[in-house]
Formats: sequence, C-alpha cells, structure tokens
Amino acid sequence: MKNNYRHRLALAGIFALFFTYSSPLLSQNLPLKTISGTITDAEGPLSGVNVLVKNSARGSISDLEGRYALSATAQDTLVFMYLGYKSHEIAVGNRSTINVLMQLDATALDQVVINAGYYKVSDKEKTSSIARITAKEIENQPISNPLAAMQGRLPGVNIIQNTGVPGGGFTVRIRGRNSIRADGSEPLYIVDGVPYPSQSLGSSFVSTVLGAPQSPLNGINPDNIASIEVLKDADATAIYGSRGANGVVLITTKQGTSGKTTLGLNASSGVGQLTRRMDLLNTQEYLAMRREAFANDGITEYPFNEYDINGTWDQSRYTDWQEELMGHTAYFNDYGLSLTGGSENTRYLIRASHQKQTTVFPGNFNYKKYGALATVTHNAADDRLFVSFTANYVADKNDLPTTAFITPALNLAPNAPALYDENGEVNWEDGTFFNPIAQLKAKYLSNSSTLLGSSTISYKLFKGFNLKANLGYNEIHLEESRTSPNTIYNPAYGLDSSYSSISVNTSSRKSWIVEPQIEYNTQIGDLEIAALVGTTFQNENSNGLLQYAGNFTSNALIYNLASAAEREVLASTDDVYRYNAVYGRLNFNWNKKYILNLTGRRDGSSRFGADTRFANFGAVGAAWLFGEEKFIKENVTFLSFGKIRGSYGTSGNDQIGNYGYLDTYVGSGFFYQGIPTLQPTQLYNPNFGWETNKKMELAVEIGLLKNIFNISGAYYRNRSSSQLVGIPLPGTTGFPTLTGNLDATVQNTGWEFEFDAKLLNNDNLNWTAKAQLTIPRNELISFPNLESSTYSNRFVIGQPLDIALLYHYTGVDPQTGLYTFQDFDGDGNITSPNDAKQATKVGVDYYGGITNSVSYKNFCLDFLLQYVKQTGYNYLYTSALAGTLANQPTAVLDHWEQPGGGGFTQMYSAGYSDAAYTAYGNLLNSDAVVSDASYLRLRNISLSYNLPIQVTLGAKCRLYVLAQNLFTITDFLGMDPETQSLDQLPPLRVISAGLEINI
Amino acid sequence: MKTITIKRYATVLLWGLFIFLSNSCEDFLEVDTPNYLLSGETIFTDTNTVEAAMVGIYAQLRNNVLLTGNPQGLSVLLGTYTDELDYYSPYPLPEEPFNKNTLLATNPTVAEVWNGCYNQIYAANAILEGVEDSIYFTPDEIASFKGEALFIRALIHFYLVNIYGDIPYITTTNYHINKNVEREATEIIYAKIIFDLEEARQLLPATDLSGEKVRPYQAVATALLARVQLYAENWEQASQLATLVIDETPWESNPTNVFLKESPSILWQFQPEFEGQNTFEAQTFIFETAPPPARALTTTLMDAFEPGDLRKDLWTGAVTDGSQTFYYPYKYQHRAGEPFNAEYSVVLRLAELYLIRAEANANLGNLSAAASDINKIRERAGLSPTTATDQETLLNTILKERRVELFTEHGHRFFDLKRTANLDGILVNSKPNWKTTDRLFPIPEKELMLNPKLNPQNPGY
Repeated sequence: MKNNYRHRLALAGIFALFFTYSSPLLSQNLPLKTISGTITDAEGPLSGVNVLVKNSARGSISDLEGRYALSATAQDTLVFMYLGYKSHEIAVGNRSTINVLMQLDATALDQVVINAGYYKVSDKEKTSSIARITAKEIENQPISNPLAAMQGRLPGVNIIQNTGVPGGGFTVRIRGRNSIRADGSEPLYIVDGVPYPSQSLGSSFVSTVLGAPQSPLNGINPDNIASIEVLKDADATAIYGSRGANGVVLITTKQGTSGKTTLGLNASSGVGQLTRRMDLLNTQEYLAMRREAFANDGITEYPFNEYDINGTWDQSRYTDWQEELMGHTAYFNDYGLSLTGGSENTRYLIRASHQKQTTVFPGNFNYKKYGALATVTHNAADDRLFVSFTANYVADKNDLPTTAFITPALNLAPNAPALYDENGEVNWEDGTFFNPIAQLKAKYLSNSSTLLGSSTISYKLFKGFNLKANLGYNEIHLEESRTSPNTIYNPAYGLDSSYSSISVNTSSRKSWIVEPQIEYNTQIGDLEIAALVGTTFQNENSNGLLQYAGNFTSNALIYNLASAAEREVLASTDDVYRYNAVYGRLNFNWNKKYILNLTGRRDGSSRFGADTRFANFGAVGAAWLFGEEKFIKENVTFLSFGKIRGSYGTSGNDQIGNYGYLDTYVGSGFFYQGIPTLQPTQLYNPNFGWETNKKMELAVEIGLLKNIFNISGAYYRNRSSSQLVGIPLPGTTGFPTLTGNLDATVQNTGWEFEFDAKLLNNDNLNWTAKAQLTIPRNELISFPNLESSTYSNRFVIGQPLDIALLYHYTGVDPQTGLYTFQDFDGDGNITSPNDAKQATKVGVDYYGGITNSVSYKNFCLDFLLQYVKQTGYNYLYTSALAGTLANQPTAVLDHWEQPGGGGFTQMYSAGYSDAAYTAYGNLLNSDAVVSDASYLRLRNISLSYNLPIQVTLGAKCRLYVLAQNLFTITDFLGMDPETQSLDQLPPLRVISAGLEINI
Repeated sequence: MKTITIKRYATVLLWGLFIFLSNSCEDFLEVDTPNYLLSGETIFTDTNTVEAAMVGIYAQLRNNVLLTGNPQGLSVLLGTYTDELDYYSPYPLPEEPFNKNTLLATNPTVAEVWNGCYNQIYAANAILEGVEDSIYFTPDEIASFKGEALFIRALIHFYLVNIYGDIPYITTTNYHINKNVEREATEIIYAKIIFDLEEARQLLPATDLSGEKVRPYQAVATALLARVQLYAENWEQASQLATLVIDETPWESNPTNVFLKESPSILWQFQPEFEGQNTFEAQTFIFETAPPPARALTTTLMDAFEPGDLRKDLWTGAVTDGSQTFYYPYKYQHRAGEPFNAEYSVVLRLAELYLIRAEANANLGNLSAAASDINKIRERAGLSPTTATDQETLLNTILKERRVELFTEHGHRFFDLKRTANLDGILVNSKPNWKTTDRLFPIPEKELMLNPKLNPQNPGY
C-alpha cells in the first residue's frame, strides 16, 4: 500500500520526492554515529561555519552558539570551513565530540566559492570574470529593489536609478552599451537557476508616474538574497549563449542552516527626503524677469492669459513649490521574520517580510511589498541523491499619484495662487490657475505577484558522475490602473463624469524551464577534469490586456469597467516564446596551477524566422596561477597569490520583440461603424537573426603580504556585430522603425581595477577597505554605408554610441542678445543637419566605489562612496524659454540686458519674439545642454552594534542605523546628476534604524 | 529497499527526461502566429477583415490624425495658427507655438502630423496592394475598397501638400522605395491627387451605402476633387464638379440643423465611436466659465459676422465673466454623456460646394451665377443678398463668407488666405510674429536627418 503510494508519486514528478523520501538507510559498511561540538574563534562562538564530511555531500552549519551536529563514520574526516578563516581537517576516529578553534586566515581566497550558473568555481581557480555581492552588503541598505543594492559596488556594472518613486526602474549596463538601439542592452537575470524576465509586464501608458514601465525586479525581495553574481566575460557568459551578450546576473536566494531551530526577527523604520533641490528664482526676481521679457518683446500691455504679471494673481505671494509638491517626508518600514533549522541531511528556511514606504508627494500614497520564501534541501545519507526546492513569493502593491509633480514643482510661477481655497477645495483661481494638486484626484494603482519555484535534483550514478536536473517555474501577475476623473480638469470646460476614464493593464507571464544535465568529475594524476553537458527547454507565455474605459455615470464607479459607456481594448497580446539549447563545459585543472575552461552552447529561439533560428556560441578561458610556481614562491616572498587569466569567445542577444518576422495587423482598439478596427503593426523583415558579441579579456590578480592586499586588473574588449536593431526609418515609410540586422560593429573596451586591503586585523579592531574603478570606452568601429543610412546624423565612426550631434554653442551675441552657434556650413543660417556637427559625448568616463568596513568590539561601520565621472543633459535640455510663464533656476539671473552685454542666458523673452524663440530652440539642440554631471555620493553608510550575549540572555541582537544617498557632491547644473531628468523624481535620501534579533 | 526503488525511478525518470527532451528541438521552436495578430496574407482573404482595416483609417482620422476634432487636429492647429482662435491656456499646450507662430523644425506636433498622415497612407496603400487582383473578392468589392483607399490617399496628400509644400507622393508599402523618396513639385502632387480622385470616382459606389454618410462614395470624391481643382485654379472643372454634387444633394435651409447627423447636406462625416459620445470638437471647443481654459474664437472673427447673421448666434457660444465676453465654436453642441449621438464630425458638406462654385464662377467672369450661389449661403444665415457686382468685390465677399461659414473646420481659413495670396496682408494685423515663410510648416527635422533627399528644409526654418 505504502509502496504503491510511493510508486505513484515517483512517477508523478520528482518535485514531490523529498516529501515522501525519509528514513535514510545505510548502505555503507561502517556504522554512522552522531558527531557534535562547538566551533569558536578568538572572540567566542562562531556561527555559520560549514562542516563537511570529506568526499561526501553530507554537511552541516554551526548555529548561533557555534554548535553543530552531523553523522559520520569513524573513518571519515571532517572539514571545517569559514570565509576568512583557515580550514581545518580533523579525522573522526572514535570521538563523538569535536570542538574546534578556527583561526583567521588572510590567504583564504580559495574558499570563496562563486556561482557561475551551471557550475561553481572557487574564486582562486576561476578563469572568468565574475563580480559578486553578498547578503551582508544587501542587508545594510534600506532598499526594495535588488538592483539598487548593486549600485557602485561592482566593477564593470553601471546601474542608474531612473526615478525616486517607489517601484520605478533602473538602467543596467554591464560593460557598456552593446546595441545601437537604446534598448536591447539588458542583462539576462537568473534567479536560482530560473531565467527571470528583464522586460517589464508594466505599461508606460498606465504607469506615467514612473516615467517608464515598473521594474520587473520588484518581484524579487532583496532581503531573501544570499548573493548576486554578475558574469561579464565570454568564459562566463558563453554557456548562456544567445542571451549572454549583455552579461548575466545570477541571484541566489538564502538557504537554511542545520542545527538548532533559529528564529530571526528584523524591524526597521526610517525617513526619506529629496537628495537635492534646485535654486529657483523668488517672486521678486521672477517678476523682474517677466517684465524685462515683455519689454524686450515690445509688448507694453500684458496679454490676457499672462496671469502672473497682468494683475490677475497676487504679485506679493511666494511659494516654494519644490517644498510644497515634493518636499514631504517619506516613511520607510521594514519587518522580517525567519525560521531556519534542520538536521544534517535536511535543512529548511522560511522567511516572511513586509516593507512599506510612503512618498515625498502631498497626499497619502505608499508602496507595500510582502515576501515569503520557503526552501528545503535534502541529501540522502548515502550521498547519492540531493534534492532542493525553493519557493519564493512576492506581492507588491503600489498606490501613487499619476504624476511625479517635478515639472510643476520647478515650473510654477513663484507667485502662483494657493493650492487650496478657504474651503479646502482645489483652487482654480477662477480658471486662471492650472492647479497641479488637482492631479491628486487621479490615481495609479498597481498590484503584482511573483511566484518563483525552482528545484534541483541530482543523483550520483557512480563516483564523479552525476545526473542532474534543474526545474523551474515562474509566474508573474500584474494589474495596474490609472484613473483620469473629470475633476482633474479645469472646471471651466464644464466636464462631468462622462469625461472620466481609466486605463487598466492586466498582464501575466508564465514560464517553465527544464534543464537536464550530466556532470562528470575525475582526476588523472595531477589533472582534474570537470565536464558538464546539458540541455534547456524553456517556454514562456505572456498575456497582456490594456483597456481603456470612459464615460461613467459617477466617479464612484470608475474602477468598475462594466459601468463605463465607452470601452476600448487598446492592446491584447498573447505571446509564446520558446527557447531550446544544448550546452557544455569542459574544465582541465593541472596541479591547481594551469587551468583551461571550455564552454559552448547551441541555441534556438522562436523569435527568429525559420532560416535564422539556430546559432552556436562558445568560449575558451585559461588561467595560470603563477604564484604557485616554485621559483615565485622562493624568490618573491611578498607575493602570496598570483594569477593571470584570459578568455575569448562569443555570446549573443535575442532581445527583440516576438513575431518580428511576421507581416501583421492588430486590433487598434477603436471602433468604427461598430466594427473593431484593424491597423498594420509593423514593417516586416523575415530575415533577421542573432546579434553576436565577441568578448576578449585579460586579467591579473595578485595577493600581497599573505593576502593583506589584493589587487586585480582586467582589460576587456567586446565587439558586438550584426546589430539587431529597430532601424529608424523616415515617416514616409509609414512606420518609425524596421527590425533587422545592421552590418555594424560596436566595440566596448575597458579597464577594471579592484583593490582591497585588510588594514587592521586584531582582536578588537578590524578594518578592511575596498576600492574599484572602471574605465569604459565605447566606440562604433564600423558601419558600412553609414553616410547613406538613416543613422548618418546620429553616429560617427570612431566615436562612442552615446554621442549626440549638436549645434556648437558660441555664446550670447553682445549686440542682438541672442544665443549664437557655429555655422558649420557657412550658409548664414543655423539649420540641422548641416550645422549639427558637434559630436558631443553624453556618457560615462569612469566610475567606481570605495567601501570601508570597520569593526571595533561590538560596533561595525560600513560605508560606500560612489563616484562617477560623466557628462549628461543638464536642466537647459528641457528648460522653458527664460521670460515665459515658468520659473527658472537662479542661473538665468546672469543674462544679457543691453547691447554690449553678455551673460549665461540670452535676452529674456516672453515667447512673443520669433528670433528669441528660435535661438532658444537651437540652444536645446546645442552642446550647451550637455555638461559635467560627475558626482561623488555617499551611497550607503551603516553603523551597527551587537549587544553582548550576556545582556541578551543568549539571543543575538543587533542594533543598526542605515543611510542611503546621505550626501552628494556635484557641480551638475540641474536636479540630480544620476537621473539627469526634470521629469523624474531623483533618488531619495533615506535614513533608517532597526533591530535584528536571532533566537 | 523501498528507498532503492524510489532511487531507481528517479534515475529512470532523469534519463528518460534527458533523452526525450534532446530529441525534439526543431518542433519545439515552432510557434503559431498568436491569436491577436493577423498576418497580412490572412487579412486579404476575407471581406470582413479588409473592411476592419479600411475603417481603421477612418477611426484614426477621427481620433488621432489630421482631421480629428481633438486638439492635435487641423481645426485647432491651423485655427490658432491663423486668426480664428486665440490661445488662453495658463500652462503650455502643444498648440502654443502654433498660436505664437514660433514653430521650429523640431516641434513634436509638426512631426506627429507628418508621421500620422504617412502612417495612414501606408494603411491605404496596403489595402490597394492587398485587394489588387485578389481571388477572394468580387469585382465590386475590389472596386469599392480600391476607391476608398485611393480617395484616402489623395485626401491626406492634399492636406500634406498644402501644409508642408512639396512632398513625396507615396504609392507603395515598399520601404526600400519609401525611405529614399524625394520631394515632388506641388503641381506634380496635384496631378497625382487629381489622378487618384478621378479613379476613386469611377470605383466608389454611386450612392452612400452606409446610410449615415460615414463612408466615402462617389459624390464625396467629386466634392474633394472640386476643392482640389479650385485650389489648382482650374475654374471650369471646379465649377462643373461642384455642380455635380450640388445637383444631387438636398440643401439644408435651417442653420440650426446643419451639423446634426441627419442633415441632408452633409456629404461625409465620421461616426463617433460610442453611442452618446458625440464629437471631439464639442469637447475641445466648449467652455462654461470665463476666462477660457484653453482657446476661444478671436474678436476679429466675431467682428467678421455681419449684424443679424444667424450663424453668429447659432454656431458660436458666449461666456462672460462680467466684464469681458468670450466666444467658442458651437457648431457641435452635444457632448459625451448623452443617451445618443446627435452629431457626427463632419468632413465635407454642401455649403462648401456652393462656395467653390461661386468662386470658380467669379474667376470665370460669371458674376451673377457667383452671386446667386453666395446668396444661397447668405439666405440661410438670414442675411440679405450680396450687393457685390464686380469680380474683386465678389471674390472678397466669398473669402469673407468662407470665413464665417467654414471656421474651425480643418483649416479652411489658412488654406483660403494662402491660395488667395492674402496670408501676409491679413495676418500681419493680428499675428505680431507672422512671417511670409510661415506659409509652410517646417519639414520635421528628424525626417531630413533620416532621409537627406527631403532637403532642403522649407525656407525660414
């Protein structure tokens, strides 16, 4: 009966295996016995130490009091390993209690095990370029998106937060922009072995407040992450083939620890505010500018609708609109609960967390995130079968206004009327004031949930030979809506709720992946060989429904689509993306000195037409640990570690929409004569295929003085060719772009340096410092027929992709008082494209970060200084003409006043002078809008204090204070040098304090 | 033993999975065309889907592009560009630089008009190519689809050439050709428009089949062709074509009913999307309190109405703030939220044909015929017959009559002033920034960059 039951289950699926599989039976000769003990270091009990039975998969981890327990035979040897400590090997013999004193080891580099995706390597023996951060760095940051945790910490990884509004997106560029098109440079995300979509399900039509679709990585809870590894070079990414070109981000969630059951509690709260504001004109300065502007335009009687100056509005009012509209305090709360424990064979971890943050906008808005993680790992006592299962669930709810208010905060006249009248109603000032606060009547609501399930099953068929399968399932649901009730409009239109509307995006994505693999490890003399062969099957179904509903009988019914008299389906999609691959790895390690790593993949993707569907990718990596050579060891004694590594290979990019090769029509959402109408969707090209990326890297890693100082430097060169792009087309073709491969090559080269030092290391005081620097270079190296292509006025061969061809600004003409520009073609007029010849770089020169970690007794201080040297678009890029009904930065006070004069700003104009308006229009197209946007930012600082165990009666208690973006030093002419936008809210300065208890 | 059984199953399962999966690569990657996309080939096998693609063009013209009553349409853009509408918005609207005559080649609205037009021209060409020689349709069906598509192609090019000057005339969906096209002389564009409209007249159904004049039929193409011939100063043809339409269309003599959807004088109109939604024009123009939230009719236009002109009372609305009165176009009086649609958005109506014939006749020297057509319009407006007797006065009367009859209907005022060489002389009074070169919009700068063959830019930009 029981056997039958098991029989069925085994057939039904491997997922369920560990639920029924229990009571391991012994198949070895010697009896197992329980070994236990306490692990300590100089300071006391040491938790988290890995205890392994040598040559087996059995193991345990020490608990908070340093205790561990596992079973082993008398012939076994136990290995005790902990990062930063010397590992110990102790034969069991006839003992049943083994206590260990761990000793600090400055040379413990090889114990850092790095996740390379399909396999793991020790940091010491890796042939590839992989950067990583761990839970410790993530936990010290009051953030809700894992991408925020990576900012400034990883060489070669440039992450820009696009908005300070919660739930917003990030731009991630690993070793630069490979693609000529602006998108298509997203890395591949893998969470616990399961690909995670980099494309958001969100609709920017709905999430206007974020300025972009919401970040897909909101579905991952940073609290649950154990480590994030970023694969950068060919050796690391070729095994991801067609999707590795832009780098691979591997996210590994936390696992359980064995031993006594531990309950962890974490609670923190904090406050957030704008990092930076602009200095704007006060009422007096502003009105003076306006008067002068009208005088310049030759207008003596102020026009009817210039309410700020024609006497309609009170000219003695002053409001700091930045304070009023986005200067409020955002509150942050974060709670976490975890339970972990298990036996030596089975470990589990359950975590639950809740985050809430409010916004800096007026009104009650907030972002909430709920997360749950459950993970179980089990290995059979005979070491043959290993099963793990992880389920990760995140739900987030976002309740926001539909605009980020930054534009009115910067543009409203300082003497604009009050937001509310005496009765507390929105003040339209008799229809003369477009009151931004009315926008609070409109709402953005989003509800999403992400479920990630993954499982690994491996079975050792015989020594060194493993059968393995990774199974994963990922389901994301999103519903977001944006309302536009009639109350946001000026009442002068007399619009009732017939003009109220709502846009709703309902999307989901379900994806499964199956990856059977065979691993084989063997040793022939001094040569260790590791081999891996695997195949991937992935299926992804995405559904999207974007609806518009309008004309309600009452605004109370606005969320009830059935109550709308008008309903349109703006988009309804149901996509299938399939992906199939065979991949392998062969690693030779001779004497732990000479290492050769071969990887390859054959990929097929349903995004391409039948003829171009498959492609091959491969890489070779090699490393020489010259520090291990006898002549080095004997002659260069200060060198404790030395390695030269290099790699060369290819990876690809298939980030292009589904079905791009089809000639298609789609429903436009509009009805005519009761017929749902159709529209052509795109120009089609049946022949586009993979973009390939050839990557080369050379690196040196050195450890000095027993690895107190570690230095590494890497040079990389990536060449991306047969660019897969939406080729821009003139409007006369009917469409803006055509999907196709361009025979152009983009090169990204760069230097990456890392330096870390254990400056102090004694009983009470520890100080480690890390610095990293990346110097990227991007260049368009070839583009046949660029001159005759539609890109001729966007790119220049030999220049970076992120240049802009602009007019060259030559100052304010002392006589006319207008901006002047270089007349490249000498025709007397400033016209595009002939005069837009100034190739202006808008991008990064170098970036990096400096991390310090100091601990003294029970105190620990960590901080990260991030620096970026770059140019960017300053406020002029989106500024209004100085003198019109819009406030301006104080910089415009330096302006042209009379013939012979000069200044930063041309003559003020209220917009009635064609010459002034044209000169202003040209300025927006000139290199004056690009200027230095470098900054130094204290990205993160944390101070924590561990309460002495005597005080807490055995519990482990930690008190901490964290701050994000505490200060920024910059000369940037604008709001924030990171976002560089006057539409998007800059990242916030967040300070929070919390308590963590482990019992 | 039990454990071992399970392990065996696990092993077999893993091997099985591996072998099974490695065998099925090519098939796995075959995905069907999804249900929300229709391939071009499928569209042109079924009358219903071609019909849906055809009316898709009208839906776009009604909601978004060129002739829409929304503020991005010509009624607002050209009305405010000339002397029909004043700009009052306290915050910047896209139409502001149009009102101040400070358009730049980088203006996004100028590019939207351009791109929207060519996008619909593509849709029309796709239908022409899709139904050509098709075995799936009857000759009548093919003729009617082709007729509509040719009419739309001519209509959009007509507006483009009058806004942007020399333009490319696009007759294919082939992007290899369309991305390198050159601008053609206005006369050649007119010849092509006339050619397409002549063919459309042959192909379109002789009478309205939609029952509500919401689809083009022969008289609609004839009416547009009459306008085109008038603009081309082919007076004879303009007069003859106008007569064809006038003779077969009943006259609406009550000015109250001119814009009601049942009015017999309406030749072609866009049906609103939903019952009770009515027109975008009503939403765009009507306001209830002063000052106007966005735009209002200019005092020069209000002053152009003669005393007693019924159209001033019936077709404009007034709002006063106590000291000052503002007027808005009130041709369309019904807004959303009503139980049914009383008005559709009118594109072509009979009154214009009388004015076309009057102007053609005046130019041909048939002065009494011209006066008689003018009086047809004046009579409906409750005005006495015109006293003009000489050609010049008659032409001026027609220009004035066009102004008060056709205001805020897709840019008539701008086109009329331009073709009668009156732009500079008249607009200089009310538009301080007006320059001769404003007679053409700039070619969108991005277009010149993507296709340098479109150079040179229009003068003044």
